[in-house]
Amino acid sequence: MKFAKKMVCVALILAAVAGTVFAGGKQESGGSGDVDKIKGHGVLRVGVKSDVPGFGLQNPATGLYEGLEIELSKLIAQEIFGDSSKVAFTPVTAKTRGPLLDNGDIDLVIATFTVTEERKLTYNFSTTYYTDAVGMLVKKAAGISGLKDLGGKTIGVAQSATSRVAIKEAGDKIGVSFGFSEFATYPEIKAALDSGRVDVFSVDKSILAGYLDNETVILPEAFSPQEYGIASKKSNTELASYIDGLISKWLSDGTIAGLVSQFNL
Amino acid sequence: MSSGPFALWRWGRLFKDFPGFLEGFRITLLVSILALLLALILGIIFGLFSTSNKKILRAIARVYVEFFQNTPLVVQVFFVYNALPYVGITLDVFSIGMLCVGIYHGAYVSEVVRAGISSIARGQMEAAKSQGFSYLQAMRWIILPQTITIVLPPLVNQAVNLIKNTSVMALVAGGDLMYRADSWASNGTLSYGPAYIITGAMYFILCFPLVSWARRHELRIKNRDTQTVRPAALSAKGGQ
Repeated sequence: MKFAKKMVCVALILAAVAGTVFAGGKQESGGSGDVDKIKGHGVLRVGVKSDVPGFGLQNPATGLYEGLEIELSKLIAQEIFGDSSKVAFTPVTAKTRGPLLDNGDIDLVIATFTVTEERKLTYNFSTTYYTDAVGMLVKKAAGISGLKDLGGKTIGVAQSATSRVAIKEAGDKIGVSFGFSEFATYPEIKAALDSGRVDVFSVDKSILAGYLDNETVILPEAFSPQEYGIASKKSNTELASYIDGLISKWLSDGTIAGLVSQFNL
Repeated sequence: MSSGPFALWRWGRLFKDFPGFLEGFRITLLVSILALLLALILGIIFGLFSTSNKKILRAIARVYVEFFQNTPLVVQVFFVYNALPYVGITLDVFSIGMLCVGIYHGAYVSEVVRAGISSIARGQMEAAKSQGFSYLQAMRWIILPQTITIVLPPLVNQAVNLIKNTSVMALVAGGDLMYRADSWASNGTLSYGPAYIITGAMYFILCFPLVSWARRHELRIKNRDTQTVRPAALSAKGGQ
C-alpha cells in the first residue's frame, strides 16, 4: 500500500515534469525554411482578435473577420501563396496569444499585440504597423473626467495587457493611487464596469471603441503609446525577417496608410 | 534554450513577487476554512431537515439541495458578483468566495449527512424512543455520534472538492492563489507551465493530507470488527 502510494506520487511528478518539457510542443528548428513550412501547411495560420472593431472583429451577422489586422493577414497570405484566401484565423485573447504561438498552433499573431522590451525576449516582433494608446472607459454618471479623479478607485484591466503598467506610471507621476482588478476577457471587464465592481475599464483605445455604449464614455486622456507589431515564435527567425520586410515595404508604399483610413482608425 | 517552457524562469523576479503569491495562498486557505465551516453547518442543518418527519422541513431541504446541485458554481459566482449589485447588494470578493463555495458545498454535505443518518436511524430511533429519549436527544446521543464515523470519508472528499473549487474566485479578480498564478504568468514573471505547476502543487499540498488521512481512516473502519453496514450511497462522489 505504502509502495503504491509512493509510485503514484512519482508518477504524478513525472507527469508534471513531462508536461512542462513537452509543453513547448513541436520544437521546430527555426532558421531555415520557415516560410516553406507554412507553404507545406497549405495555409497561413494567424491569431487575431475577434472583438476589436477596425482591427480584428468577427462580424456577428456573417461570421467573417474584418479589420486592419485581418487585411494584413490576407496580404501576407497573398505574398506567400499568391492567394489571399489561404489564411486560417484563430481568435486569441491577450492571455492565449503567447502560448498558442509557443506551441506552434499558429504561425503569426496579428492581434493588437503591443511591442515591449520584455516581450521581445520571448517573441520576434515586426516593425510597428500601428501606434495606439492606453485609454479609459468610464460611466458617464460617475463624473470622472480624467486620471486626477481616480484616487482610491478600482481599474479593471485585462490579464497580460500592458495597460496596468501604463496607467500606474501615469498615476504615480501626478501622485494618484488606485487599485487594479484583473480579468481574463474584455467582456468580463465591461460587465464589472456595468455592475460597479470597477470604476474604469482600461485598455488600448482601439479596443475600448468596441465597448462604448450610451452609458459610457472614453476619456480624452491617453497614456504611453502602444506600438502594435506582428509576433512570431522566437525560433522562427527567418519568418520574422520575411514579415518585417513586408511590413516595411507596405509602410513606405502607403498600403498600410490606406488600410488605416479605410477602417477610420 | 531561448524559447520553450523554461525560458521565463526568472528567479530574481520570481522572489520579488513571492509575497503576493503567498498572499494568494493565504486567501485560498482562509476562504477554504470558512467555506468549509459554513458547508458543515448548512449540511448538518439541512441533513437533519431532510430526515425529519415534518414534510415542510423535508421540502425546504429538497429545494436547497436540488437548486445548488443542479446549477454550476461559476454561474452562481458571476450572478452574485455582477448581477446582485443592480439590486444594491455588493459583497466583497472574499465574502463572495466564502458564501458561494460554502453554500454550494453545503448542499452536497447535507446529502452525505442525510445518507449517514438514514443508514443508522432505522430501528435505533424506535429503540431510543421506547427508552424515553426525545427525537433531539436520540439524535444527539445515539444517532449522530455513529453517523460521524461513517460520513467522515465522504465529508473529506467534499472538503477536497471545496478547496479546489475556491479557484472560481480567480474569475472575479478574487486575489486567491489561482488569480495570483494567472497574474504571475501573464505579467511575464514566469512562463505559463511553471506558474501553473507551482500553483497545482500548492493546491496539492492543501488537499493531499486530507485525502490520505481519509484513506487511512477508511481502512481503520474496514478492519474494525463492527456490525455497521456502510451503504453504497456513502461512497458516491459528488460536487466535482
